[in-house]
Order: sequence, then C-alpha cells, then structure tokens
Amino acid sequence: MKNFERLTYYDILKIPPNSSSFEIKRAYRDALSIYNEDSLVTYSLFSSDERDKILKTIEEAFLTLINENKRSAYDRMLTDSGQVDLSITSMRNQKKPVPFYSSNITDIDNFAERVRKKSREQEVKKLTNEALSKDLISGDDLKKVREAVDVEISEINAITRISVSVIKSIEGNQFESLPPELYLKNFLRTYAKTLKIDPQRIIDGYLKNISLAQKK
Amino acid sequence: MTEIYPIGGGKGGVGKSFITANLGALFAKRGKRVVLIDLDLGASNLHTLLGINNPGNGINSFLDKTAKKLDRVAVPTIIPNLFFISSLHCSMEVANLSHAHKLKIINAIKKLPFDYILLDLGTGTDFNTLDFFLTSKQGIFICTPEPTSIENSFRFIKTVYLRKLKQIIKQHAFQSIIKNADASSNTAAMQSPDIIEIILKHDPDRKELLKNKLNEFHFKFILNQFRKNLDATLGDQFETVFNRHFYSNFQFLGNVGYDVRIHDSVLSKKLYIHKYPYTPSSTDLKKIAENITNNRPSEQPEQEIS
Repeated sequence: MKNFERLTYYDILKIPPNSSSFEIKRAYRDALSIYNEDSLVTYSLFSSDERDKILKTIEEAFLTLINENKRSAYDRMLTDSGQVDLSITSMRNQKKPVPFYSSNITDIDNFAERVRKKSREQEVKKLTNEALSKDLISGDDLKKVREAVDVEISEINAITRISVSVIKSIEGNQFESLPPELYLKNFLRTYAKTLKIDPQRIIDGYLKNISLAQKK
Repeated sequence: MTEIYPIGGGKGGVGKSFITANLGALFAKRGKRVVLIDLDLGASNLHTLLGINNPGNGINSFLDKTAKKLDRVAVPTIIPNLFFISSLHCSMEVANLSHAHKLKIINAIKKLPFDYILLDLGTGTDFNTLDFFLTSKQGIFICTPEPTSIENSFRFIKTVYLRKLKQIIKQHAFQSIIKNADASSNTAAMQSPDIIEIILKHDPDRKELLKNKLNEFHFKFILNQFRKNLDATLGDQFETVFNRHFYSNFQFLGNVGYDVRIHDSVLSKKLYIHKYPYTPSSTDLKKIAENITNNRPSEQPEQEIS
C-alpha cells in the first residue's frame, strides 16, 4: 500500500501548484469525502491508525496551502528542493471575488447621516411636505424630493440594491416597465426610507396615481 | 493486434457474465472479431445470457484432445462476428483444473486469432481465476457500489497482486527474501498487500524492477447496478484511491445503471443489448465499450501519480 509520504501537498489534494484558495477549499472537501471513515470508497482499505495519519496529512496540507504566508514558505521549500518549478507558482492565478455592484459609497452610516441632516433643512422640509400632502404622488414628486436631499440615483442603487432602471422607471412614470405591484410596493418603501420620508404615504399616493393614469 | 480482457471481480452476482456478453456484442457490432470464453469453470452460464441453448463441447473437446486447436471449438452466436467458447460440458470436477490443463488453456487463449478475447471469470480468488485474470495486463474488474462488493474488490486486487508478485519472485529468484519475510512476520505478510513494502525493505535494489513490473498493469473497472441516488463521482473517487495506494494504473470505465429489464432479458434468455438497444443501461455499456477501444494502453500510456 502506497501512502502519502512522498507526495507534495498539492499532489495530496490533487490540484496544480497555481490553484486559487477556492480550488484548494474544494479539493480539501473532496479529499475528506474520499478518506472519511464512512466513505464507501476507503472504509475497508485502511486501519484506523492509517486513516488518522492520512486525514492528519490532508488537514496539514489544507492548513498550509490556505494560509498565504505558510503557502509561500512551502512553495519556496518545494522550489529549493526542485520539486516544483518556480515559474508555475509565481504565476498563481488567485481569483479575487468580483464585486457585483460597483459603488463609490464607502460608508453607509455616513450617507444616512448626510440625508438626515439635509432633510432637516427648512427648505427641504417644506418641499417634502408639499409632495407628501398631495393625494396623488407622481414620479416627478419623488425625483424632486430626492434632488432636494441631494442624493444620486446611483447612491440609492448602491444602498438599496434596487436597479437603476427600476428607479428611473419609477421617477419617470413609465408605468408599463414597472415591476409587479408587490415588488413595486417594497421598492417604494425602501426608496422612501432611504430618503427619510414616510413610506406608507408614498406607496398609497404613488399606487393611486398609477391606477388613475391607467383608467384614462 | 489481439486484445485480451479478462473480466473478474471477487464477488458473485455483480454482473461479470452480463457485462462480458454485452461488451462482446458491442465490439462485434463495431466490426471486430470477438470471442467470449466462459472460464467460470464448473459454474458456466454465459451461454444462457447469449441465448445459446446448446453451446457444444467447448473447452472440453480441447482438453480431451478431440479438437486440436481452441478456435475450432468456438461457436457462432446470433450476432455476426461474435463467437463463444463454452465450458458447460466439461467434467463435473473441472473447477479443480490441473496446473498443466490451466497452462494449456492460457497458452491457447493467447494464440486465438481474434481481435478481442473476453474471458468471463468465476467468483472468488482461487488460483485458476487469478491466473486467468493475469493472462493479460488489462484485466477488467466489475463491482457494484455496495460495501460487500467493494470489500471483495479490494481483496481481489490484493490477491491478484500477491499472485503476480509470486510469479515475479519465482522468475527473478528472490525466494530467499520472501522466505525471510514470511518467517519474520509469521505469515501475516502473506495475507497482506504490504508484502510489497516488506520486499522493498529487504531488497531495495530490486525495488525498481518490482515497481516497474506492477506499473505495467493497466487495470480497468466498472461500477455495475448503479442506482440513480448514488454519488456520481464514486467511480472517480475509486480511481484516485486505486492509483494512489496501489502500484499499478487503474482506469474507471464507467457506471452501468440499474435496470429491471436486465433481469427480464436474463429470464427470457435474450442478450440485453440486442433486445433493448436504446435503454439508459445500454447507452452506459456503449460508452464503456468506446472507452475501452479508445484508451488502449499501448497507444495512450497513463500517467502514474506518485
């Protein structure tokens, strides 16, 4: 029975030396599924001592490779002993997570504070109340309020994750491209909360405006 | 070139004869000249799976010298190009084949003028079965994804190894070492595949010879009666483990799905692949046949993981 003695950590996990941390994690999980004591594949192949030894080696391999510092030390050791070509390890294609939303707002707390301050200003308060006091609330009213508190569409998008096109449809009164009512209500609620205005008033007014427009 | 594929596996009822019959038919349908030999001596029933009622005297007439050459006793089947050599009408004691007869059969098999020779082996790990399995370096073993079958498969590989090691040792005169190893560990060594380690320790000079000899083997394996709810990567996991912890090369050929119609085809004594050519299990078998023809070890040497 051959064992792991002469394999490198990369061989043990069956991955190339330029694997990313994601690949290492997956390889570790696969190795455990092969060598755990309930595994159909190996349960009868090893004594419990042998298994413990193997599992310990696999864990050691994982803990070394997943740790940046330990891994580069290990790679150096491998290249020095000629087991791995340095050019391979230096070309490591570490995959960085790609941000799904690109955003220039770094501090959400700061944003909330900014909106709160702004909305307390006399002029803004007056404009907001004017919009909210109306029975029918249109997209234009919402846009006015947003501009009064000095918030960009992209900022709302970054904080609420409501897509830019939906926000534009809401503000532009493009009723045909709006999402179904259930979603719309939630979008309006989040939108209103972000701008620190009464969500229920906005939802009621906006939906009334839509139904009226559709009757025409 | 003639390719010999012994088909074995420690456990009974895993489908050795079934796979032999159907793979043979698939090779024949691809235009190869194929012969199936029932070497499950004393428990032959490959002819039934092929739908042959009277398979003739087969190996028996070769052993009692009524037929001079083994290919004379091959009978045709319903599939063109597919021939069959039976051991049905051998003596009741044929399971205990004499050493001379065994060698006679093995040597005759190696000379058969066919493209593919498939040997259907019996259950268990007796010397006859092991020697037939070692006729070629590319034995196929069948196992089902059940603990009982898997235990027996490991056992089977280990006994094949031990048998092969003894052959090598005889040829290269390491008797004294094996005797020492044997004496020093009270026969425990003979029961365990770690005999390799013991020999390697006692005679590091021969280490390479031994490793090279074992590395010449390209065993293949098939998971039969594979049910849908199982982990589909099971076969690949086996391949990894075999290649890592044994000294030869192992290739996973594929799963054959479980199908009740296989049972029906046995009951009606019809060849499954012929009766149900378009079922999922038939597709599995076709893929396996393709894997075998496409991955000849002579053309595509496999990498050793070490």
